Amino acid sequence: MKSVLEVDGLTKSYPGASRPAAADVSFKMAEGSALGLVGESGSGKSTTARMIAGLEKPDKGWVVLGGRQIDGLSRRAMQRVRRDMQVVFQDPYSSLNPRMNVEQLVGEGLLVHSIETDRAARRREVERLLGLVGLGHVDLGAYPRSFSGGQRQRLAIARALAVRPKLLICDEPVSSLDVSVQAQVLNLLRDLQSELGLSILFIAHDLAVVRYLCDQVVVMSDGRVVEKGSREQVYGDPQHEYTRDLLAAVPVPDPSHSRRSVTEEK
Amino acid sequence: MSTSVATRKRRRIPLVDRIALIICGLVLAIAVIGPWIAPHDPYAVNLSQRLLGPGPEHWLGTDINGRDVLSRILTGARTTLLATAVVLAVTVVIGVVVGTLAAVGGRVVDEIIMRITDVGLAVPSIVLALGFAVALGPGIGSAIIAVSVSWWPGYVRLIRTVVRETMQSEFVESAVALGVGRRRLILRHVLPNSLDILYVQVTLDVAAVMLVISGLSFIGVGAQVPSAEWGAMIAAAADNVTSGWWALVFPGLAIAITAIAFSLVGDWLRVLRDPTLKQEN
Repeated sequence: MKSVLEVDGLTKSYPGASRPAAADVSFKMAEGSALGLVGESGSGKSTTARMIAGLEKPDKGWVVLGGRQIDGLSRRAMQRVRRDMQVVFQDPYSSLNPRMNVEQLVGEGLLVHSIETDRAARRREVERLLGLVGLGHVDLGAYPRSFSGGQRQRLAIARALAVRPKLLICDEPVSSLDVSVQAQVLNLLRDLQSELGLSILFIAHDLAVVRYLCDQVVVMSDGRVVEKGSREQVYGDPQHEYTRDLLAAVPVPDPSHSRRSVTEEK
Repeated sequence: MSTSVATRKRRRIPLVDRIALIICGLVLAIAVIGPWIAPHDPYAVNLSQRLLGPGPEHWLGTDINGRDVLSRILTGARTTLLATAVVLAVTVVIGVVVGTLAAVGGRVVDEIIMRITDVGLAVPSIVLALGFAVALGPGIGSAIIAVSVSWWPGYVRLIRTVVRETMQSEFVESAVALGVGRRRLILRHVLPNSLDILYVQVTLDVAAVMLVISGLSFIGVGAQVPSAEWGAMIAAAADNVTSGWWALVFPGLAIAITAIAFSLVGDWLRVLRDPTLKQEN
């Protein structure tokens, strides 16, 4: 199967840190798949995502997007590559420019990548995108401050999807949202994935969320990949002790099913 | 019920700030229409009426040359405030352009600009003004250039700091990730979210710049003596302060009241922008 993303040996150290934030991270992602990159905070999952997104320069290793190596590109070349790869950030309260309205925010990608230079056509496309993320009713002139967290994250998703990327990187896109809203945004991402054939790289610390959305899972701990495989493999038969601990820590919503405790196991 | 009263009270502009706002408005209005509402010709020398005390004909008295002090203050507001406005306009534009350049232009550019601002900050404006007065001849133009030259580094530093801060925000990173180019990034994302602080700083600086310009006129390198500039009026009246205090005190009051009013409004804007500065009383 063709791979949309390949990372190999990605390593990043920050000055003053005792260990690299990410060390020798490698995995492949098939086109149209959803890969969950999980781990606790400090595990290096966000650093890895930032290196893939070209927001952080890796010390070592490479990133291949759709068959083309994209790490170390010039700023201008990278700018063009971003049409194929978009990012949805964790906190929709700070990731949307407060001085831009809905039409400008969602339409910006169409404008800067010269996809739709005609204003009226761009507006129609913005309306279509808003409908796609369930915000068909909103006022195009409204500013982010008048939206709730879930609505803002939908705006951010519409903004990212406007350029029709091959890969969508979601960096903990629901962890700052209410639990009830989390499900809505996750459902939206899942629908979009099947409707648009989108590949999603999903960064999360919540294993339940990843299980729901992703068919491939990569587990990271202390900057290293400790386990990778299909959802069934990782959840059904975890090989690494860290994965087992992580799975045991997930609350089980079924009251008849008693929760396994990490301490009991040891 | 008591809470609703308290909320309503908090929203209202404090009395002092309201008075300051009104004074600022008045001064600006005088700067525009002053020459037309002046009761006498501010430049008409009338030696038979020299150094008359405040009275029904000349409310604020006359100076050594018999010119009406009130008319001169009303007319002079324009000179003083216009010079202040020019200085602030020039320094703000330089500050935004050069400060942004320092913030986003990389380490070498930043280092060069910062060292130049160090030099600019190290030379006092009075000394610069004396230099310009010698080179260009004394006059309000020299004062404007001198104050601008010594004032711009402050704005460069301010804008540089704010722009660097805004560059760190997540919406800027999100724009980079979207593929927004550098120019658009700065013009549409960074600057609109950085320049709010200028409202406050400029208002506060009106007072400071006005004082320096008047001061330069007072020591004789700014507006020259026949001119109805406030500082120049004080300088001209200083020689006869014992026989005609009003010719010195009233322009001085005009400067003091305007400066205090603009400072108060600036402070009020600052608190409005950053409510954590609000004092409980």
